[in-house]
Amino acid sequence: MASTFISKAEKSYIQAGLLANPPRRADGRSLHDFRTISLETGVAPLSNGSARLSLGQNANGGTEVMAAVKLEVENVDNENAVDGRIACSVSCSPSAYSHLSSGALDDLQHDLTAVLHQTLSHPSLHPKNLGIIPRKKAWLLNLDLLVLADAGNIYDALFMAAKAALWDTKVPRTRSVEYKSPKTFSSASGDMDVDQDTTSGFDTRKVSNAVDFELPDYWDEGEVLDGRERWPVAITLNLVPTIHFLDATIQEEASCSSRLLFVYSYESTSSPTIQSMRTLGSGELTMPHLKDLVKEAEKYTKDMVASLTGKLVDEDLRRNQKARDRFLSRK
Amino acid sequence: MSSRIEILNDGGYRSDGRRQYELRTLTIDLSPQGSGADGSASLTHGLTQVSVCVFGPREAKMRSQTFHDRANVNIEVSIAAFSASERRRRGKGDKRILELSHTLKSTFEPVIQTSLYPRSQIDIYIQVLQQDGGLLQACINATTLALANAGIPLYDFVCAVTGGVHSTSLLLDLTLLEENDLPNVTVAVMPRSGKVTLVNMETRLHVDRFEEIFRLAGEAGKVIHGEMKKAVRDRTEQLVGAMQSIGRPLAGADAVDNEY
Repeated sequence: MASTFISKAEKSYIQAGLLANPPRRADGRSLHDFRTISLETGVAPLSNGSARLSLGQNANGGTEVMAAVKLEVENVDNENAVDGRIACSVSCSPSAYSHLSSGALDDLQHDLTAVLHQTLSHPSLHPKNLGIIPRKKAWLLNLDLLVLADAGNIYDALFMAAKAALWDTKVPRTRSVEYKSPKTFSSASGDMDVDQDTTSGFDTRKVSNAVDFELPDYWDEGEVLDGRERWPVAITLNLVPTIHFLDATIQEEASCSSRLLFVYSYESTSSPTIQSMRTLGSGELTMPHLKDLVKEAEKYTKDMVASLTGKLVDEDLRRNQKARDRFLSRK
Repeated sequence: MSSRIEILNDGGYRSDGRRQYELRTLTIDLSPQGSGADGSASLTHGLTQVSVCVFGPREAKMRSQTFHDRANVNIEVSIAAFSASERRRRGKGDKRILELSHTLKSTFEPVIQTSLYPRSQIDIYIQVLQQDGGLLQACINATTLALANAGIPLYDFVCAVTGGVHSTSLLLDLTLLEENDLPNVTVAVMPRSGKVTLVNMETRLHVDRFEEIFRLAGEAGKVIHGEMKKAVRDRTEQLVGAMQSIGRPLAGADAVDNEY
């Protein structure tokens, strides 16, 4: 993606290393090893959910991505629109791509934004609790990703960071407010009334005549997004004819002719769905080969999702339960 | 007994529990960031967080931008959309960003010894990650540290601090809440020579108060200078220690935790 220019000799050296038996990579990994992934959630205090992810760390720095979710209230004009909207955007810091001109950087941002937005805003992944007042007001979920450093494999990093930030997102509780015309009394006409039921803002079965909403005081920041297990993960298979390898560095990316991006969503571990798929680069691919790769990619993402979910649950514990225990046991 | 937040209460405390002249917690991280930056620094003033990467001196991407007798200093500021309480995407052409980068450029051009690197370019990329007042001061301090970390010769440190006036009492290092309410001025000093490279004020301030706040901010700049110098020295010592430990037999547990 990032047009790093490497010489023909370097390219063939890297390819020869990858094709050797046993395969050799510059950092000593085997073909299907990832670099160390570090992840932290809750890094942007002013957002509704955030995460920072880095992929590998060495003298040249690894790939580093920050993701943050911000919710905004939006008026719904369209009568039959689904509740809520998701908008993703990726911005790249010039310090990650110091060799690119500002025009090229804009193009790159646009490319990355398109892939993320198309995949994550798809109706099949849409969380159900983004509505506030049916057909009137809803949350607009803004997911902003910031690439702080790129040392290869940016798509996988972006999708992982996006999943972590969305996992971490808390939707504020709302309570709808409506005007009830008094049937028995005539004295209190047009008095404002507040429902007691706190979940009625999300109840779409009955036709409500709510006009506005309020945010009740509550001990936490809100409830998590519905279906947060569903957010997909991506895997990029880098193809050098006859083999494929994972988590390429910038030099490795530049030396393979084509790459395949798969985005898998796991609602349950047994039935993954492919949410998105792209070929990157100029190489070509045969159908039987592609079928094999799809199976391989499924295997890799399964492991990836399992460990990522484990880490995210750990982070939840660290930030809530453990922090509370620490607070209670403080001197 | 009002529920409004008081800027400075009767006990002499500010809304975040600081005294009048107390600065916010300053943290400095000089470890490498970005992809192959020559020098970088990440700095926080309380909840304001800025990260700066310096590339260069290097060959300019565009030949036309170079000067035959000195280096061209190029500063680009980007503000993360999630950095403020209200989401806002600021593009490259945003007036506020252009103004900020122009101010920074005019602050640093006389401080960097540009004449040592003719026909080259020094790129300074500033990324704002969180904003809670004192954006300009954080940008200036972080840029100074990143330049020092990149080994670019400077005439002096540039240390900036914001000062504000609440009726007649002076406050230092304002948060966003205070910045919105008070007349404030950002002063950048070069502590060794005592020169001032920047005074920036976007509000109105009584001329009698100006001298007081100006002097006070100058003093506070020296305090920040001490912290910055310590951070640079610590980082250098760490690197020297790591360099010297190469090729030596491991002497017990004193191996330096190095990134190289």
